[in-house]
Amino acid sequence: MFKTFITSFKLKNTYRVNSIIYSLKGLPVINKILPNSLYKNKFLKIFGNIISILFEIIGTFLWKGLYVWLVLGSMTFAYKTNPVNTFLHLFVFATLIGGILNTYMLNPTKDKYYAIVLMNMDANTFAVTNYFYSMLKLIIGLIPFTIIFGLMLNVPLLICISMPFFVAMIKIIVIGIFSISDFKKNRVVKNENLPTKKVWILLASLLLLGFGLPYLGVVINQIIYIVLFLISIVFVIIALKEIITFKDYKKMYKLLLTNENVYAVQNANSTKMIKENIAKKIEYNGDITSNKTGFAYFHELFVKRHSKLLTKAIKKQTIIIIGIFIILFIVIFLNPTLKEELNSLPLIYLPYFVFIMYMLNRGTTITQAMFMNCDHSMLTYRIYRTPDVILGIFKERLKTLILLNLVPALAIAIGLVLLLYFTGGTSNYLNYFIIFISIIAMSIFFSVHYLVMYYLLQPYNINTEIKSSTYTVVQWITYFVAYYLIGKKIPTLYFGILMIAFCIIYSLISLFIAYKYAPKTFKIRQ
Amino acid sequence: MKLIIEGLKKNFEKKEVLKDINFEFEKGKIYGLLGRNGAGKTTLFNCLNEDLPVDAGKFFLKDKELRKIESDDIGYVLSTPNVPEFLTGREFLKFFIEINKNRIKNEKTIDEYFDFMKIDKDDRDKLLKDYSHGMKNKMQMLVNIIANPSILLFDEPLTSLDIVVQEEMKQMLKSIKKNHIIIFSTHIIELALDLCDEIVILNKGVLEKIDKNDLNNTKFKDKIIEALKEE
Repeated sequence: MFKTFITSFKLKNTYRVNSIIYSLKGLPVINKILPNSLYKNKFLKIFGNIISILFEIIGTFLWKGLYVWLVLGSMTFAYKTNPVNTFLHLFVFATLIGGILNTYMLNPTKDKYYAIVLMNMDANTFAVTNYFYSMLKLIIGLIPFTIIFGLMLNVPLLICISMPFFVAMIKIIVIGIFSISDFKKNRVVKNENLPTKKVWILLASLLLLGFGLPYLGVVINQIIYIVLFLISIVFVIIALKEIITFKDYKKMYKLLLTNENVYAVQNANSTKMIKENIAKKIEYNGDITSNKTGFAYFHELFVKRHSKLLTKAIKKQTIIIIGIFIILFIVIFLNPTLKEELNSLPLIYLPYFVFIMYMLNRGTTITQAMFMNCDHSMLTYRIYRTPDVILGIFKERLKTLILLNLVPALAIAIGLVLLLYFTGGTSNYLNYFIIFISIIAMSIFFSVHYLVMYYLLQPYNINTEIKSSTYTVVQWITYFVAYYLIGKKIPTLYFGILMIAFCIIYSLISLFIAYKYAPKTFKIRQ
Repeated sequence: MKLIIEGLKKNFEKKEVLKDINFEFEKGKIYGLLGRNGAGKTTLFNCLNEDLPVDAGKFFLKDKELRKIESDDIGYVLSTPNVPEFLTGREFLKFFIEINKNRIKNEKTIDEYFDFMKIDKDDRDKLLKDYSHGMKNKMQMLVNIIANPSILLFDEPLTSLDIVVQEEMKQMLKSIKKNHIIIFSTHIIELALDLCDEIVILNKGVLEKIDKNDLNNTKFKDKIIEALKEE
């Protein structure tokens, strides 16, 4: 039994270490230094093992600490009821919810899949030993925090110590009494990550009782908790017997560890799935044609066949922006005292709009669709990679991207100018012009930026996986710069002029670089 | 016309995938490029198509004089057909013909090209995303052939096609070979023997021609397998 557990632990650790090394290979600069034979490199293995141990410790303590602190400790003070009783009340209901949603045994994780399905390990021993290891980890991880936060709230020490055991007992009861019996009777295993409707209703009810009742002043007390604890001891003995004597874990896991269950999260986020979803968005009817020729013909058909994908979000954005401005104008009309406050929005909060324009820009989504539905296939044809074709299509795309993003930008630019006017205006009329042009410039800047980055760093390989860490880093930098400008108060006149100048210079330089280098860089990554 | 490769080398870190390739491919012949899995057939094609940078060596075309290989000179057909799924077959061809206008000799109508490739009338105006694997493969071959490149590289293009389409494609390749240098990679030895004029094997990073001499197909096949097995 111990041997099986050690083997499964080693297996889990090996792929965890390999995943860490694989992630290192994805980092810029570092990936150039690391050799391809990195998986047998002793130093990297040691490094991976250290990180893996840290993960295990973090997994044992950190999340549980955060859980006790945020979900139980801090929430306790949101109610007017007795803190000790509230803490216990929240704890009991959160434990019941966790018992259903976080069973450990019914979570279709990769380590179980590898060990039971691929490596054909003894499923019974694997299931029982790993389950008790996870329960032990749970108790060890929780106990310091239930003691610390419990004592801070004046919960008696014995109760604080008992709490992690209560959590483990509830989980064991759910598995031993409900899940295993359900499998024995109906040959059904429920993936804990995909609760059924009935389970959702049960969870919602528990949530309501747990976090709603204290608002009404109703909470359990220490006596009720102790009674629940003692009842659990009786049931946990029955449950433990079930778990230990059950000998059909192999069959149970065969039902649970399907490819769909194990790779559910990975599949949903995989580029393959994204590609399939984007391919579904191609619209076709005989009326969609083009009278143009060459690159313009090719690009126009792309735009028309992806019209919803390209314009749906932009239409929504524009309607929401217009709606917000209409509401603001009505508010000003109804309450003229707000005029002064709102007047400062276009005059000193222009930097905030860099982030708004960043959020609104559809560059990432559109370039992704361009790759998935067009360039992924076309870049395999060498004629498509000739400078004439690349730059011809680049020009068409740039026009489209700028025009599409200009729609919500215009709504904001006009809205801000009108807002400034209706809230009392400004003594310097140049502000109207600067606000309008700087919003337009920001929109054009982001459109140029995303398209140029796509052409210079084309990040995808033939399997539509992102293989350029530089591309990811540039995306993050763009986000952080835009985010940094939030809340900065700079007079519009200065910031606007600076922004317009920056956008023009950046756009010109980046377009020059794209024209020079895109024919070399715009290709499928190997 | 000849495709001449001299001293071509490609390493992936310490692994020498292409050691020292020296070879001449002639126009009018179909070359069957055989090699075991991972031998470097696709790497060789990727190097010739400049998808991968080479570590050493050069390759050029020799017609009346030696010249560098340009983009127009190579058509590369991959084993997995990649076509723009938002276009219909007809639109894809129209676009390709327009951007290759200057290079196409004796331009035909789009339907004549479809007829040549044996693509049904009903399928010509369907979106390419609704094409079967075989039809996508035919389209991929067609657009590579239309532009009339001097060199055609085929990377296991017939492996996953049904036998009828395979036969159609074989006949098509035979019909165009006189104007092209065709290199056809496969690991199906029977297909190579049936279709190709010359057999070249890529083994341990080296490209080597296997002479048939007076051997019958069975003995020639054994000779190829022996050569591929050599350590």
